[in-house]
Amino acid sequence: MINSIIRFGLIFIVLMLLQVLLFNNIQFSGYINPYVYIMFILLLPVETPAWILLLSSFAAGSIIDFFSGSPGMHASASVLTAFVRPYVLRIISPRDGYEANPELSMINYGFRWFFTYTLLIVLVHHTALFYLEVFRFADFFRTMLRVLLSSLFSITFILLIEFYRKGK
Amino acid sequence: MRNLLNFLARYNNLIIFLILEGLSIYFVATRNSYHNTRILFAVRSMTYGIEEKINNTRNYLSLRDINKNLAAENVALKNSLERLVRGENSPFFSVSDSVYKQQYIHTTAEVINNSVARQKNFFTINKGALQGIKKDMAVNSSDGVAGVIVGCSDNFSIAMSLLNLDFKLSVRIKSNGYFGSLSWDGRDYRKAVLSEIPQHVSVSVGDTIETTGFSAVFPEGILVGTISDFEKVGGDFFTIKISLVTDFKKMHFVDVIGNMKKDEQLQLQNLFQ
Repeated sequence: MINSIIRFGLIFIVLMLLQVLLFNNIQFSGYINPYVYIMFILLLPVETPAWILLLSSFAAGSIIDFFSGSPGMHASASVLTAFVRPYVLRIISPRDGYEANPELSMINYGFRWFFTYTLLIVLVHHTALFYLEVFRFADFFRTMLRVLLSSLFSITFILLIEFYRKGK
Repeated sequence: MRNLLNFLARYNNLIIFLILEGLSIYFVATRNSYHNTRILFAVRSMTYGIEEKINNTRNYLSLRDINKNLAAENVALKNSLERLVRGENSPFFSVSDSVYKQQYIHTTAEVINNSVARQKNFFTINKGALQGIKKDMAVNSSDGVAGVIVGCSDNFSIAMSLLNLDFKLSVRIKSNGYFGSLSWDGRDYRKAVLSEIPQHVSVSVGDTIETTGFSAVFPEGILVGTISDFEKVGGDFFTIKISLVTDFKKMHFVDVIGNMKKDEQLQLQNLFQ
């Protein structure tokens, strides 16, 4: 228990640093802004109580907000993602359930499962975030394009990090 | 009570979610001015219809007062019209002395084209020869000096902005009266350079700079700016940086000033030069 708190605390810090120092600076022509920090929400163990999930997502989002000067936007999108996560997990649950391997990683569940999981979570998060950012439906398709392109890059980076973890 | 606790226990995730999400949206709405206005706008458009109805009713109820005001205004306007018409029709007109004392005539105009980014900046105003604008009239913003008219068409005029390398203006330090020449160095649109102030003069940051009226273009004593920085260059003169009072980036309404006695002054000066 203590172990996993320290472990996820470290993951949290590393992801925050990565996002703030590296990925926040990748803003390619206003369409591509990868947000890799939501990998934290992805990786929390299955049996994490919902309130911890929600609160830690809120904290993560608020920290990112703090550094990118967008009060509330990331926090709101992250909290929504954390709220949706159990339902996503239920939809894509593997045949023999999650009990055997509580850690949600590519090693335990394979590339295909992890990819689907990442795709769904990232899409939820990015859709909420980008539509909240423009805050109107006037540029609906342009925003959707931004969501899709950014999601593509976020997913790529998350999978790369996951492959790196797997390789270690 | 137990039911309530059961309810809370059952939906605690949803409740936490709603609280946090509400908090986030609250931040989004209050800390970001853009979102703030969007929400305000949405609320406005909801209440707009009702407000309009209330306003209509209120107007109807106060029609009596409005009528009374209009009637009073009508009377006042008629009176002044009467006075004007009488004045024009009368075969004799009294010459008030001030006509011959008046040296400067003023008219307002709107800036319809402007630039600050070039080295030689000009701006266009929406009055021209038909409205009495002539070449070499002075142009002031509401704060201070802005430029000089360099050309007119029938309804428009071009003025050379102070932010022009060719612009020269005779100005003085208000506190001690020493005069020098003001020009723009082409760098910062908030700053100009005052030269020809001798080094024995005491100069301090914040001193007011105003026009002298020597050029017969600008009236005397119009604000130009304040000293923001000065240094001694060479042996004789200061180079003084002036921060201009006119903000050329937001200049909109200007005051065009004509000198009615300019020709007289220049003719006399030419006789002795």
